[in-house]
Amino acid sequence: MGTNMSETKMAESNGLRLPFEEPFYQPVANEVRVFMAAWDRRLPVMLKGPTGCGKTRFLEHMAWRLKRPLVTVACHEDLTSSDLVGRFLIEGDETVWQDGPLTKAVREGAICYLDEIVEARTDTTVVIHPLTDHRRHLPIEKLGVEIIAHPDFMLVISYNPGYQTVLKDLKPSTKQRFVGMNFNYPPADVETRIVMKEAGMDESRARALVAAAGKARNLKDQGLQEVTSTRALIYAGALMVAGLDALEACTVAIIHPQTDDPELAEALLEIFRTFFPEQG
Amino acid sequence: MSAATEDILDHLAAVSFVAGRDARAALPVVTPLGEAGTLRYLETGRDLFFYDREAGKAFFHATADLIMTFEGLDPWLDQARVFLSQRGTFRAAVGFFEQASAVRRGWGAEGEALWFALGAAWIDRHVDSAASYFRVPVAILFGDAGVEGLRALLTPAEVLAKGRLGLGTYLDGAIKVRGICGLEGVAEWTRRGGDVLAAGRVRGEAWFRLESDEARSFLLEVLPGFRMGTHKRLFGLLLQAWTGLHLPLEEGNWSLEGGRSFVETDGRSLFVPAVMPDREEALLAFYHTGAHLVFDSYEQDAIHALFAEIGVQHPPLDPDQRITWRPLFAQFGDDMIRFQLIFDLCEDLRVDSALEREMPGYLARVLRASRQRRRPEGGAGRYYQAAVNMLEDGMAGRLPGDLAMLMTAQTGIVDAFRAALTLYATTDLPPISLSERARAYLPGHSPNAARPVYPRQKRGTDVPEMDGGGELGAAGHEEKPREAPQQAEGNDPDMDIPPEDIQGTGGRVGVGIPMPAKVMGSGRGVQGPKGGWPYREWDYRQQSYKEGWARVHERPLREHDEAKAIAIAAEYDGTLRRLKRALQAQKPTRMAPRRRQYEGDEPDLEAAVQFVVERRAGHSPKAGIYLQRRPQQRDTSVLLLADLSTSIMAEAGDSGVRVVDRLRSAMLLFGEALVEVGDPFALYGFASKYHDEVLLYPIKRFTDKFDARARALLGGLSGRLATRMGAAIRHSSRLMLRSPAQRRLLLILSDGRPADYDDAGDSRYLQEDTRMAVKEAQDLGIHAFCISLDPCGGEYLPLVFGHGHYLVLPHLDSLPTRLPEIYLRLRGHNA
Repeated sequence: MGTNMSETKMAESNGLRLPFEEPFYQPVANEVRVFMAAWDRRLPVMLKGPTGCGKTRFLEHMAWRLKRPLVTVACHEDLTSSDLVGRFLIEGDETVWQDGPLTKAVREGAICYLDEIVEARTDTTVVIHPLTDHRRHLPIEKLGVEIIAHPDFMLVISYNPGYQTVLKDLKPSTKQRFVGMNFNYPPADVETRIVMKEAGMDESRARALVAAAGKARNLKDQGLQEVTSTRALIYAGALMVAGLDALEACTVAIIHPQTDDPELAEALLEIFRTFFPEQG
Repeated sequence: MSAATEDILDHLAAVSFVAGRDARAALPVVTPLGEAGTLRYLETGRDLFFYDREAGKAFFHATADLIMTFEGLDPWLDQARVFLSQRGTFRAAVGFFEQASAVRRGWGAEGEALWFALGAAWIDRHVDSAASYFRVPVAILFGDAGVEGLRALLTPAEVLAKGRLGLGTYLDGAIKVRGICGLEGVAEWTRRGGDVLAAGRVRGEAWFRLESDEARSFLLEVLPGFRMGTHKRLFGLLLQAWTGLHLPLEEGNWSLEGGRSFVETDGRSLFVPAVMPDREEALLAFYHTGAHLVFDSYEQDAIHALFAEIGVQHPPLDPDQRITWRPLFAQFGDDMIRFQLIFDLCEDLRVDSALEREMPGYLARVLRASRQRRRPEGGAGRYYQAAVNMLEDGMAGRLPGDLAMLMTAQTGIVDAFRAALTLYATTDLPPISLSERARAYLPGHSPNAARPVYPRQKRGTDVPEMDGGGELGAAGHEEKPREAPQQAEGNDPDMDIPPEDIQGTGGRVGVGIPMPAKVMGSGRGVQGPKGGWPYREWDYRQQSYKEGWARVHERPLREHDEAKAIAIAAEYDGTLRRLKRALQAQKPTRMAPRRRQYEGDEPDLEAAVQFVVERRAGHSPKAGIYLQRRPQQRDTSVLLLADLSTSIMAEAGDSGVRVVDRLRSAMLLFGEALVEVGDPFALYGFASKYHDEVLLYPIKRFTDKFDARARALLGGLSGRLATRMGAAIRHSSRLMLRSPAQRRLLLILSDGRPADYDDAGDSRYLQEDTRMAVKEAQDLGIHAFCISLDPCGGEYLPLVFGHGHYLVLPHLDSLPTRLPEIYLRLRGHNA
């Protein structure tokens, strides 16, 4: 989920990434305030929202604000708890314990971000339970120890509620341990500013892109698994800045990646064509 | 007056008082033509009258007009004698006398001569044909094609007459075909029709009346212009994107009004013509009609205000509760069409401007399309030009005050009406006839009051909230009347349904608007079958369950059709193969060897390394270092529950494809895919007839194999009865609890709202019950997911199944390929 058009610069801090340049984030509602409050009490946070609406960027931005390193784990079906917690490795004649990303974050006081958590199997994700309540510790079975979390450690998870995840929903008992924050595509004015800034483009074209996306998003239930994301708009904008014709840029950055259905593609093209009439 | 003429007049009067009177009445215009002429005239009249009373009367009545138009007696008087040559010609004669002057005025002496000759030729051949010919209104008969066009139109009929096809049957269709695709189209249409006629009389006549599918599909083939049928989904998508409306698209008029085809609406559906001139016009028509809907041209309160404006308290409704527009224009009498056009000009300006704010460049597009088209002749052209000017002035900000105001956001249809009244009082736009009207509209525009409309709710409030209380199904909430379940295909033995005992205004299922009504007693007069599983049902009106109200019976399906199943498998061979290949390619991950086992066929390298490492580190790890190649115990099971109610027998739109056809294919493909995947699955169908007879038809139980028997059952699927979804879901949930997997998915395949014979037209009742059933299933750990073919599904599915737990597939054809795909995606398989 890396919205990295303006590459977020990271510094190394004890092997953990620490952003030293402010990642651009345009607040939409109360999300910064809510996150700060959660941070204040070190409550775990759950970010929900569609692809490419800025969840990851928001977190990068918050990590920068809080001057905490950010550890991101992209979850998938074969992720084991060892992958999170750590494992023994052989080095020469010795065996060495290697911390997993979660353990590292717990020790160092980083923000640990488990992206698309529903993709991981439930037996994997139970290891986070003790971290999410008042105990704030991480049991490491293989070492026979329990690490008390660094005071600055914070756990953040994200997922994308859509029909693909009907069967993979988080357990209610897991969900209840988090502060939930809903993300969606920003309002047109805000989104325009984001697209302008990220793609480095002029306002009129950015506004047209956002307006077109607003219409295209009405097609949500029509077989589109994902609707046009802010990120896709930024890509399209970037391609325009790079010299592609506007409609061409929309086609390759937005329409082609979004659907294989020819009629849907034609409908989308028609929408974007209205805002970016072909020249000549 | 000579003695001879007096003789004839007396003779006529003696035979018939009417004849004498009519003849005398006609004389004053005849006598100035001289003695000989008068005599000739009266002789012909007398002959006609004695030959056929009606013909004679028509002759005398038309005389004044004929003499004035023809400036004498020729050639019509001689022409009239042709009707004396055969018995039973009076209908033809009446048509001739009534229309001859109009032909002469419109198409000159030559045109009149040809018109007469073409018809007269049929008098010997087939009197009824001649009658049909002379009675076709000449404006329609000639159309735009002129004199030679008429000859060309009639020529093919000569050949067809040999095949014993009457001219009336031919003309009916031919005129329509000419209107749609010109004279060349008629030639081709007749040539093929001749073959069809030779193959069978009934089929042939249906062809020429344009009543058969083959005639329609032929027309679609030869029609010039842009065919709408294949692009309907695209337009539906665009309409949804721009307006947020998700409306059913229905087949519009085939016969074109004045050579124009229009997209129309009744407030609930769009009526789409078979063809439009080009893609751009089609798009503009969709956008424009959608704009009318979304910018409140048909919004209830606005319409009330509009009628209040002319002093009518409530707009008049037709039997379907639609608003009829007539009174709005009635006050203008003969000038009605003129005012209607002016009103449309104003309202279209308002709506187009509103759309322009959403869709930059829309007005420019309308203007471009309008300029590309040739300006129509005559009065229609004036209106056309007025509309163009209005748009141009509007875009340049040159419009006068009240019209300029229409282009701002805060105006409604009432403002357009007032502006129209002002414009009507001052404009010099000419009177215009109904037949010219269609040409007066810009591309994409159409008469706004063409159809009676179901008034719409104000935007923003027409999304009913389930918790909002009393909106859905309550009085005032307009529902499209559901179709009453009908006799199913196949021989369902349970069709003899006694009339139910209903009090209230609800009426039978699907008739009238849904009104709260009460069902008295426990289905009085209906004795359901004994046995079955009792289930409770949620009654939202009482906010409580009716315990044991619904009874579910499992019944075997009787119809099976192995041949059909094989045919479907053959038809979808390619898809099936692709699907299987995709699944097999995934097998290594799917059949993921179970890792970290204590025994197995091969070592789990990673586990072994870890084991050794941990041992060295001084731990005593467990020796789970093997891989097992056993097929994994699947962790997802699925029950597919298909709605087998009567509605699946219906054709989807005009596609000629029935829902059931695609349902069969989809379930077969689903079954094949699931066999390949290896997940435990079951296939059931359901239908219902009253609360105590909810029928579940097992096609394949969890324990059954997906074998030839199951396939044959799928091949023979047919629709019957109604849709009591809640009880079916509850029973399916119970069945699913016995399935071995951890994750349980109940996949419901439906094409409409839950409904049953005893819901008294209150669609909310079963909808709420279904919602509760879904919730109960959820509490049991069963995920319910609905795939609906109902284009309006977006209105109620979120309420029943919850967001993200349904999918609307308005494109029926995609169901067979999409169904397995959707399942795989749901269970998290990247197929």
